[in-house]
Amino acid sequence: MEASFKLGPAIILCVVLIAFVGIGVGHKAKDQDDYWAAGRGIGRVGAGAAIASNWMSAASFLGMAGLLYLKGYFALAYVIGWTGGYVMLLVLMAGQIRRFGKYTAADFIGDRFESQTARLIAACTAIIISLTYAIGQYKGIAMMFQWVFGMNYATSVIVGTGVVLAYIIIAGMLGATKNMQFQYIIIITAFIFPLVFIAKKLGYFYLIPEIGYGSAVWDLGHKFGSDPNNLKYVQPWGVASTYKWIALCFTLMVGTAGLPHVLSRFYVVPNTRDARWSVVWGLFFIGLLYWSSPAYAAFARIQNAIAGVQPVKALADVIVISAAENAGLPQWFTGYLAAGAISAAFSTVSGLLLAAGGACSHDIYYRIINPNASEQSRMMVSKIAVFVLGLVVITFALKPFALIAQIVAMAFAIAGNTIFPTFLLGVWWSRSNKQGCIAGMLVGLTLTAFFFFWGKGNDHWLAQLIPFTSSSLILMPIALFTNIIVSSMTPPPSLEIRKFLCEQVHGIKFD
Amino acid sequence: MSEDRYHINIFKPNGEFQKTEISYIWLILAIWAVATYGFQLLLKIVQRNPQGESFLTDMQFLGFPFHYWFTGQFLIILFILLCIWFNTLIDGLEDRHGKGDI
Repeated sequence: MEASFKLGPAIILCVVLIAFVGIGVGHKAKDQDDYWAAGRGIGRVGAGAAIASNWMSAASFLGMAGLLYLKGYFALAYVIGWTGGYVMLLVLMAGQIRRFGKYTAADFIGDRFESQTARLIAACTAIIISLTYAIGQYKGIAMMFQWVFGMNYATSVIVGTGVVLAYIIIAGMLGATKNMQFQYIIIITAFIFPLVFIAKKLGYFYLIPEIGYGSAVWDLGHKFGSDPNNLKYVQPWGVASTYKWIALCFTLMVGTAGLPHVLSRFYVVPNTRDARWSVVWGLFFIGLLYWSSPAYAAFARIQNAIAGVQPVKALADVIVISAAENAGLPQWFTGYLAAGAISAAFSTVSGLLLAAGGACSHDIYYRIINPNASEQSRMMVSKIAVFVLGLVVITFALKPFALIAQIVAMAFAIAGNTIFPTFLLGVWWSRSNKQGCIAGMLVGLTLTAFFFFWGKGNDHWLAQLIPFTSSSLILMPIALFTNIIVSSMTPPPSLEIRKFLCEQVHGIKFD
Repeated sequence: MSEDRYHINIFKPNGEFQKTEISYIWLILAIWAVATYGFQLLLKIVQRNPQGESFLTDMQFLGFPFHYWFTGQFLIILFILLCIWFNTLIDGLEDRHGKGDI
């Protein structure tokens, strides 16, 4: 990994970035509905590609292969958590959320629980989740800019954010949605094709490297198994215990099903049937990436084993690029790979900033502060909010965070411990009321924050039981039961909302 | 009619449609949970050392150690199949009850 200016990759990256902005400008947002929900008419496959593109971040593209490279079987908990969450989301909530028919997660919570306080808490939670998650993307952006242009970290962060902000503000979400399918194609082709090259170079079955890497994993455990580190890579509990695997996987699952920007994708599709089927396509498109990450990791480990070196922790987050370079992939192709990584980070950051801007303008400004606000002023507020939040993200990202992967995991824990149980009960238990909702969310937020700050690096048995990045296995049920108990002790929600829940959200027809 | 009929509870289905819908939800979630977490527990139960080695990790499938294939590759395929199955079941249920797209 050499941080110097590289002409070929630089040209490819610039072409890709200009294409993103160009496509965005071609599809300007016409009104509020367009801006937030992107016209609601992009089809099942298109919506699936948008779900996948929105989802696939620098963490998926670079970080996951890096974790798998270091931790082997244990890191498969990330792969399974981030895909299995969609099954839960689909069967429990996707159709119902679409029928509820709102723009944001806070809208759902505020309207369902008939409370401005609940709306405010949900909006603030959504903003916190979006910002922490977005900050986590900058490490990926910065490392790629560093590799391509030889820029330093701070310059990369500022240039990267500038491009994202310009893009969002000019094009609005309709552009972003069209653009997301284009981005998906860039991301997935950039990720998949270099693998064929690497597999061929190492002598594994290269036509489908997603199957070919199986023998590489096998070789790590046998041919190179004399090194205990290689053995640990393959063994189920070589790196961490069964409990840690399950707690992490569960946290990522409920976190996925509770991420506001994932939930809000369901409003893009025209009807519930499309909402449900778009999940299948989204999961398939995400799967293509997640079947490939373990292959990068295993091939990189084989490269290490052949060279007789130990895995390098500092290389983990750029292992995708470094494995391609080691295999002798042409530099322009590695440049395309870097462009894919940056696209992944950009699409996620723009989706997150839009979700956070939506929370500010729609949930806080329009629904709480000024219900008479015109559409124009709401658009204005959201654009200002996106801009200000972008600056906040830059400020945090500039300070070189050592713990970025942990901060991303924290975003999942917050989503899983607050938004997920509230949505679950909001949809499936009509007796759940505003007191229960507020109590549940506050308990979830407080405990998540407590275990993050207190539990980090703590040997106390409680901190071992509730690992700070995997806290949902215990804390989600606690938040859920808080909601249930408090709701049971306070008056039921109004007849109106229960009627709406039955007739609209669940489609029950009474004679 | 009293207002009592307006209730939703995943453990107490309201009407025939919802009864079937919820039974589908439990079916899919049960398979999902057993495949994901049940398999990890199975690895734990049959292990011969604390690192989790067993006949499931000795076995080779498509070149992979079996447990690595099951978790790293098969589970995602299963998730997609479960989603397709669920959607097909719900589409059929909605058609039978004359509920199109809402």
